[in-house]
Amino acid sequence: MTPAVEIRRLTKTYGHKRALDRVDLRVEEGSIFGFLGPNGAGKTTTLRILTGLARPTKGTVRVLGHDVATADNAVRADIGFLPDVPGFYEWMTAEEFLRFAGGLFGIGRKVLDERTGVLLELAGLTDITTRIGGYSRGMKQRLGVAQALINAPSLLMLDEPTSALDPMGRKDVLDMLQSLRGRTTVFFSTHILADVERICDTVAILDHGRVVAQAPIDELKARYGAEKVVVEVGEGADELAAAIGAEPWAAKVERDTNDTIAVTVTDADAASRAIPAMVAARRLPLHRMEAGEMGLEEVFVQLVGGGQQ
Amino acid sequence: MSGFAAFVRKETTEILRTWRIWVLPGMLLMFAVTGPFLARYTPEIIGAVGGSQAAALLKAIPKPTYLDSYAQWAKNLTQIVLFAVIIIYGGLISSERKSGTAVLVLTKPVSRTAFVVAKALVHSLFLALAVVLGTLVTWGGTALVFGTAAGGPLWSSAMSWLAFGVLFISIMTLLSALLGSQAGAAGIGLGVFAIISVAGLWEPLTKYSPAGLANAPMVLAAGGESAILWPMVTSLVVSCVLVASAAWAFKTKEL
Ligand SMILES: Nc1ncnc2c1ncn2[C@@H]1O[C@H](COP(=O)(O)OP(=O)(O)OP(=O)(O)O)[C@@H](O)[C@H]1O
Ligand SMILES: [Mg+2]
Repeated sequence: MTPAVEIRRLTKTYGHKRALDRVDLRVEEGSIFGFLGPNGAGKTTTLRILTGLARPTKGTVRVLGHDVATADNAVRADIGFLPDVPGFYEWMTAEEFLRFAGGLFGIGRKVLDERTGVLLELAGLTDITTRIGGYSRGMKQRLGVAQALINAPSLLMLDEPTSALDPMGRKDVLDMLQSLRGRTTVFFSTHILADVERICDTVAILDHGRVVAQAPIDELKARYGAEKVVVEVGEGADELAAAIGAEPWAAKVERDTNDTIAVTVTDADAASRAIPAMVAARRLPLHRMEAGEMGLEEVFVQLVGGGQQ
Repeated sequence: MSGFAAFVRKETTEILRTWRIWVLPGMLLMFAVTGPFLARYTPEIIGAVGGSQAAALLKAIPKPTYLDSYAQWAKNLTQIVLFAVIIIYGGLISSERKSGTAVLVLTKPVSRTAFVVAKALVHSLFLALAVVLGTLVTWGGTALVFGTAAGGPLWSSAMSWLAFGVLFISIMTLLSALLGSQAGAAGIGLGVFAIISVAGLWEPLTKYSPAGLANAPMVLAAGGESAILWPMVTSLVVSCVLVASAAWAFKTKEL
């Protein structure tokens, strides 16, 4: 099976600045692929090259099996794209813009009527008759997502689709992307880790123009994430936390609520043997002890390093 | 192809629904409506307010005819409307790059060539319509005010100017594909106009090149002779070459 996106040793330079440095990326057909990276990592640059808006300095980029350098209307007909800041004709209404976008794909009247209705509904813009010029950023973002779907693309590329949205809007967009799983390949950039954790099956982490990790999300967490143990006691949590912190296998000790201690451990086996003994030695009531979930955030911070967040 | 048609429709609707519908047609209609009256009555008005000296001077000048009305129209076209065209179309391509709308269009099945050609085509037709309308009104107004109004001098003058105007839309298409700044493109456009006007003073160039169109509208409107066939043909050819160059230049740009 040909991958939906295949990037090989892609380098992009602006003058002396290397925005992308030998990037390799493979997005399998049907996957929801999260493209993570801090500000200035090169996410937008990558998407601009994938959509043919910018050209690679070096390397090859293939989209839906076609080299982007020679991609024509036929290839673009199968792609949906939302740029980081979508620009609309401000004199149009949302419906007019969707119809215009559909017209560019040559979509027939009947299908277009139907899709326009569905997508307006999806974007929450059904009853809004004002011109786009009067829209808020979030409304434009939602219309941007809707217009990217007008051609029912087999590859959907989105540059920070949730950045301008409130929590409800974010949830709607993520749910919608998730509902496309299996039918459409979704490739989206973000620096919001929770979004990626929620819907992506595969992740690539980009930093300073380089891919520092690319793998299925569980594998990535397992590979890079140190493990975590959560302990909850009825009393004496302060003293216990201090004692755990002094142990060689404890990398980091956090206190969540009053009596809960979250320990990041380097040796899970040693920790699971030692902690019950420490609790018992102090005669503390043990309410709970379990393996905590390692978040993508920690993986991200580990790989990308502090100071940027 | 469907992409091209849809984009042409968008560009046309945009003219009708934004400031564009007011500026060029408004300007042309205003000149067309007032021109014949001004040509007929300005000398009398000057005579009335200018005192005896001005009145004496005016006696030496022959009474205005319909050709003076045509000359007024040609003068407005060559001196004011052309400048407006240069300034308005300095951002024909670059404004869509700046607003980000070009990105949404060009990542769909619309080639950059189609984008550029559609714009040059729609706005040339728009200018043609506005000029034809303005010329019709001028013709009618002149007939009304002066009693007679032969068609030949007026229409040959207007059509030769239209070819010149379309040439400048093509020049501005290229400049706005090359430059991000509307003011920068307009500045260079005015420079090009100055060069062509100077070239228009040199006899051999006026015979075959578009430079022959720089002064032809004035000459023709005054009832004079000017061989404009060749300049119009070469102007049209040069316009096509300019639009093709604009498409090529736009292709090489990153958005
Ligand atoms: N047109 C350009 N000219 C010069 N430098 C550029 C250009 N576009 C991008 N860059 C540089 O390339 C690097 C990557 O930028 P890019 O916009 O791809 O980052 P990003 O990951 O999308 O960041 P953000 O999260 O802030 O959107 C940045 O250092 C930026 O300054
Ligand atoms: Mg970006």
